[in-house]
Amino acid sequence: MDFLKSGLKTVLGTPESGQQPSVAETVERLVERASNSTLLEDRRDACRALKAMSRKYRLEVGAQGLDTLRQILELDRADNETVNYALDTLNNIVSPAQFEEEEDKPHIPMNIGDQFTEMFIKDPHNIQLVLDLLDEYDFRVRLSAVQLLVSVLTNRTKDIQEIILDKPMGVSKMMDLLADTREVIRNETLLLLIKLTKGNANIQKIVAFENAFDRLFEIVTSEGYSDGGIIVEDCLLLMLNLLKNNSSNINFFKEGSYIQKMLPMFNIPENSEEVGWSPQKVVNVHCMLQLVRTLVSPSNSIQIISSCQKIMKNVGLLDALCNILMASGVPADILTETINTVGEVVRGDATNQDFIGNVIAPSYPPRPAIIVLLMSMVNEKQPFALRCAVLYCFQCYLYHNESSQSNLVQTLLPSSSDVSSLTSGQILCGGLFSSDVLSNWFSAVALKHALIDNPTQKEQALRVLLATNIGSTPVSLLHQCTLLLQQTTKLQSKVALLMLLSTWTAGCSGAVAAFLAAPGGVPLLVHHAGSNEHDDNEYLLQGLSAFLLAICIHFNDDSVATYSRDALKQLLVKRIGMETFVAKLSDVSKHELYNRAAKHPQLRVASPSDVLIDYEFCKLFKSLEGLEGPLMESVSMSPGRSSPEPQLEQYKSLIRQQDARLQELVQQLETLTAHAQNLQGALNEAQSANSLLRDENTLLKAQVGNSGSDHEDRIRQLTGEVARLKEELEGVRRSHSARDEELEKMKRDQNDLLELLDDQDLKLTEYKMRLINLGQSIDEDNVVEPEDNPSRVNNKTVDGTDYIVTPPL
Amino acid sequence: MAYAYLFKYIIIGDTGVGKSCLLLQFTDKRFQPVHDLTIGVEFGARMITIDGKQIKLQIWDTAGQEAFRSITRSYYRGAAGALLVYDITRRDTFNHLTTWLEDARQHSNSNMVIMLIGNKSDLESRREVKKEEGEAFAREHGLVFMETSAKTAANVEEAFINTAKEIYEKIQEGVFDINNEANGIKIGPQHGGAGSGGGAPGAGGAPPGGCC
Repeated sequence: MDFLKSGLKTVLGTPESGQQPSVAETVERLVERASNSTLLEDRRDACRALKAMSRKYRLEVGAQGLDTLRQILELDRADNETVNYALDTLNNIVSPAQFEEEEDKPHIPMNIGDQFTEMFIKDPHNIQLVLDLLDEYDFRVRLSAVQLLVSVLTNRTKDIQEIILDKPMGVSKMMDLLADTREVIRNETLLLLIKLTKGNANIQKIVAFENAFDRLFEIVTSEGYSDGGIIVEDCLLLMLNLLKNNSSNINFFKEGSYIQKMLPMFNIPENSEEVGWSPQKVVNVHCMLQLVRTLVSPSNSIQIISSCQKIMKNVGLLDALCNILMASGVPADILTETINTVGEVVRGDATNQDFIGNVIAPSYPPRPAIIVLLMSMVNEKQPFALRCAVLYCFQCYLYHNESSQSNLVQTLLPSSSDVSSLTSGQILCGGLFSSDVLSNWFSAVALKHALIDNPTQKEQALRVLLATNIGSTPVSLLHQCTLLLQQTTKLQSKVALLMLLSTWTAGCSGAVAAFLAAPGGVPLLVHHAGSNEHDDNEYLLQGLSAFLLAICIHFNDDSVATYSRDALKQLLVKRIGMETFVAKLSDVSKHELYNRAAKHPQLRVASPSDVLIDYEFCKLFKSLEGLEGPLMESVSMSPGRSSPEPQLEQYKSLIRQQDARLQELVQQLETLTAHAQNLQGALNEAQSANSLLRDENTLLKAQVGNSGSDHEDRIRQLTGEVARLKEELEGVRRSHSARDEELEKMKRDQNDLLELLDDQDLKLTEYKMRLINLGQSIDEDNVVEPEDNPSRVNNKTVDGTDYIVTPPL
Repeated sequence: MAYAYLFKYIIIGDTGVGKSCLLLQFTDKRFQPVHDLTIGVEFGARMITIDGKQIKLQIWDTAGQEAFRSITRSYYRGAAGALLVYDITRRDTFNHLTTWLEDARQHSNSNMVIMLIGNKSDLESRREVKKEEGEAFAREHGLVFMETSAKTAANVEEAFINTAKEIYEKIQEGVFDINNEANGIKIGPQHGGAGSGGGAPGAGGAPPGGCC
């Protein structure tokens, strides 16, 4: 700290003795110096000092210095050191993390970094400034710029993504950094790209276009694949980001032969058992498996899945995965994920399904891998996640594959001569009747998958006979399932058996007849469907029972007399009641576990107790939900079921009408959405303009506030002066007009006098004449004598009145 | 799947001129009369043969709408070829070509081959832009020109392949720096000896890039 203080002293000069400047003041002076100093050295020193303060006092530095720092990025670009300080300071200010130095300052808001980020990106040009700095080759500038971008992206992912997308070379510039030979920058760039690509398909595509996969595979290769460090993990995470839910990029990945390049990642060295798996290696391999699963995820389009699966088989990736499956010393979670991955790589692809059907495990005696896997599924001691994975893998193995489905059922039929070896059918039957609830559930669901969409196997399975006790007559599998349904008290087992029976009987009247013929089946269903227990999972049991009943009615061929279609309907109406029945059915699709299961083929549950409903069952339920409607209709008016045909037509036309209306509305919605988007855009613009104006306004107000009093004084002074001047002017004007008047009067007087003079002249001439006439000689000069004194002249006008001419005053 | 060269293309032009349909016709040999608006870009790929060599085309079909213009600009730099498409039944799409060309020239590398395409040549009765006008525009700006129909597939193959030929010739002349991936060209993984194993008898011999 002493060093820091002395550093500050040299920058700021020694403070006046006695008083310590406050932090705000110090920052203010530093900011002032950073923005106004003419010498680069001074600005640089100020930035250095600001950087030093920015961790502990980021509120002060950020509030006062953000603009200046931004300005330095622009104006002092030439000086790497200054720019570097500015970048680091900005990075500290916007950092999403809380610094150690701040811990004793509880008044600093938690999201302060976020707030400063918002201020910083208000002008998108600021991001451009930082992007421009990526071109700078200087190590520290480049690194700091990348780190600053990582920080702002962490705080405001969506906003920054949009800003960067708007800059034509924004993404490309970052991609160029991946090729930087300095590993620190390359690694930091990886983190940046991971944040940048998160959830933005457009950026993901540009990054892929800029040869990201090539770069990433180069790095992964150079780091030693799965044995590489966290950098490999980062590369894989970025690839995952690029591919997840992005069919265009998956296509590109597939077409660019990158699947082949994944192969070396799954090579397990011979001596892996002795060497062991480091935690990082576990993480890396886990990411790689995720990458494979992203390509063949059931949520992708069928074309993509199928072509990826074919490539994976052809290049040997499936082989490599199976090797991991069979290798020893593989950690349990990797094994689990590998089983899931293998499942998705084979799902729905007959060649791949055959392939894993033929994989032989290196056990004694050698057994098919599928058998070994199923054995772990019904083994209570195996981890729960692993057992779920095996079920998923087995489901995928049977999915849309009639021959593997038939193979499974065949192993249960009496004709199969080979009794010496353990078969998958035997394992599943064993699991079905085991005391372990989960084994019951897994086995029932696995068996169910052999019957899905396969009418032949539904019939075939009816022939399966079980020898329950030595000596007693064999019982059919379906019969045994019905019995078990009555005997077991465990909810999970009951639900599993109901799902199995529903799948079996759906669309197969033979199975319906067999079920109806089994004693106790129907009464149990009626009992459950009509029961009134209010427990969340109990609702499922009730709903599933109702569902199986509905199937029994719908696919009934009336071959069992006691439970013919009409008899069952009557029973239903009498014992349960139509409304209750429908309500029980609709409860199923409202159940949380149902909705969770319906999302993804893979069972995704946190705990064993949540294992209840299976994805394929949800599909069946949904597909038959449509049948429930007419079924209910026909049940409710079963006595007089007169002519459904015209009614059907009526409904059809109604549906058509509704369809058309729906289309129309969808279109309307689309246009309105577009319109709303436009408006939103305009609104945003307006808002930003507004906030800009508001800022300006505040600024101006502040300026006004500062200089207000000065102006007022001045104005008062000036007003006074103006008033005074006005008065003066008034005075001048008054005297002026008085003079004018005077002048006027004098002019008039003069005129009068001139007239008088004329008169006098005339009279004088007259008198002269008279005097001449009287014979007087006249001296011209004497004549005017009486007029020499003009002060008082008495005159007589022609009419005889006297008047006095007075000289003007 | 071995290839001697890989070229990156982009398809640009106003919205609704048939860019996605051209790509679909070229990669999947089918026509889809109703196509969703392209959002951002979509990827497609196909292998072709030129001069006995397998050439992989990676094609990025861009969105024509103005809103996606800045995204489209990100793709110019790394592309070796561009198909600039207009609709012969819509004069305005022809009028906008200059803007497109300016954009392309500004953001791409100078060697990018641009092919001008007047699409929808099957709709002769609604034609608004004469073939001669397209030819004149192409001549004036140094582009290759063709009229195509994504619907009937007329000239679609040719458009993509001729562009590739042009690029290939430029490589032969040594104009393109094939070692710079930013040009949108990659040399195949098994170039040279192993490349001839991919069913292309003429692919053996010296790498053509080194001849100048």
